[in-house]
Amino acid sequence: MNPVVVENLTVAYQKKPVLSNVSFEVPEGKLIGIIGPNGAGKSTLIKAILGLIPKAAGEIKIYDKKYRPKDRVVGYVPQRGSVDWDFPTNALDVVLMGRYGHVGWFKRPGKKDTEIAMECLKKVGMEKYANRQISQLSGGQQQRVFLARALAQDAKVYFMDEPFVGVDAATERAIIELLNELKRQGKTVLVVHHDLQTVKEYFDHVMLLNVNTIAAGPTEEVFTLENLTRTYGGKLSFLEKDQLIVEQK
Amino acid sequence: MSYESWILIVGSLAGVTCGITGCFLILRKLSMLADAISHTVLLGIVLAFIVSQSMSGIYMLIGAVVVGLLTAVGVQMLHHAGIQEDASIGVVFTFLFAVGVILITVFADDVHLDVDHALMGEITFVPWDLVQWGFLPELPKAFLMLSTVLVINLVIIGLFYKELKITSFDPQMAAAIGLPVLLIHYLLMGLVSITTVASFDSVGAILVVAMLIAPGASAYLLTNKLSIMLLLSALIGVSAAVIGYYLASWLDVSISGSMATVNGIIFALVFLFSPTKGLLSRKFTMKKLKMD
Repeated sequence: MNPVVVENLTVAYQKKPVLSNVSFEVPEGKLIGIIGPNGAGKSTLIKAILGLIPKAAGEIKIYDKKYRPKDRVVGYVPQRGSVDWDFPTNALDVVLMGRYGHVGWFKRPGKKDTEIAMECLKKVGMEKYANRQISQLSGGQQQRVFLARALAQDAKVYFMDEPFVGVDAATERAIIELLNELKRQGKTVLVVHHDLQTVKEYFDHVMLLNVNTIAAGPTEEVFTLENLTRTYGGKLSFLEKDQLIVEQK
Repeated sequence: MSYESWILIVGSLAGVTCGITGCFLILRKLSMLADAISHTVLLGIVLAFIVSQSMSGIYMLIGAVVVGLLTAVGVQMLHHAGIQEDASIGVVFTFLFAVGVILITVFADDVHLDVDHALMGEITFVPWDLVQWGFLPELPKAFLMLSTVLVINLVIIGLFYKELKITSFDPQMAAAIGLPVLLIHYLLMGLVSITTVASFDSVGAILVVAMLIAPGASAYLLTNKLSIMLLLSALIGVSAAVIGYYLASWLDVSISGSMATVNGIIFALVFLFSPTKGLLSRKFTMKKLKMD
């Protein structure tokens, strides 16, 4: 059973369609890159799948069912810039938020949740910063805290919105190692990504998006010059350098 | 109890209640919406009077919640329809407040309320406005209302602490794990409405904004922990009320005005001298970094 199936999804802001007739399926236990130019609707796609924005039409199935948060099969890493890092809280507390769905109403996260949260911080190499105020962390460290929070959700499918943006090289390596670890555990990870040079190295599958689905499937089949040209259209000129790399690999 | 101690108690209660609720307004960047609600609840009070023909506390609280939520929902709807948020607040706020003002002038003969009183409050009269609730002895109405609202606020914030926290920090994540983000927003706006109306008699619609925002804004600059921020904000709210009262007696000026002024002075001091986030300490750190 495919963990994520999207059929004919259309999303519109005001009257302008941001996603139009998007259809794709992702296989279980793979790393999937969602690739496309700015304004292609990559973040919108994730938000629509998670029900954060209304869809105009289409079907979305997570493990063959309509997505319901209380099934707790989905973990989410929003864009780092979407929150105010000056919020009065520390790294451990943010990771604990990943447990809130498990804790339920009227209860506080318990000792067990704190242990899980600490473990998740350890997995991203941030256990030393557990009590650090989040505004005092670097961009890469903040991103790792967000990843740890998603791990604490203990999900089967993960959606990550641009986790590699604005992070240092060490964090990028740490993140990709973590993604591979999740894959080994049989989890499915969808990542919005826009560095074309690393696509072949990082992802098993890609989904090329530009308002419509351009192509989706195994990276070696789908990540071709022809498909990229169709995805990026007129912006080809500044793609050329990347294309060479694509071809060489 | 003496006249003076009633004023101190009522002022402190307003300080604590507003201080705690205000923290969430600051973290959610909703100060302007609070300003709007603090004015539109006037309409709620007038409507409550027209319906119930009394100035009873419970009707006032219900009226405040209804109109406060109407304000929040109206702003949300206009904003959702593509109007900028500040413009939505400006339109809804002034319209509902204006209707309130008109109704007050129409029913002026019956209502023990005038626009000045609603805007500025008059804490001086609080000790004489007594009511009798249930088995309790006759007590000042403002004291009973503020105590009730404080208890409601503490219970709601206690029950929904983690939900309020995550929806303030990361509403997208909160929605993704299935929390009713908008409902929690309205719940908080309900708290703001009853807080405002309970503080109305004492400090009025304009100064209540100072009591809602200033203590939380000061506390925000003093700590990195939400629970401590709530505590500090409550403490600052009380201090401002007490210091404000004595300052007013000493200078023989408006008590509520003096309380709000002290709130402003405390904020200014914290803004300058907070050990971690103050202007001076930040300047100092920058200088040190340059030297290194």
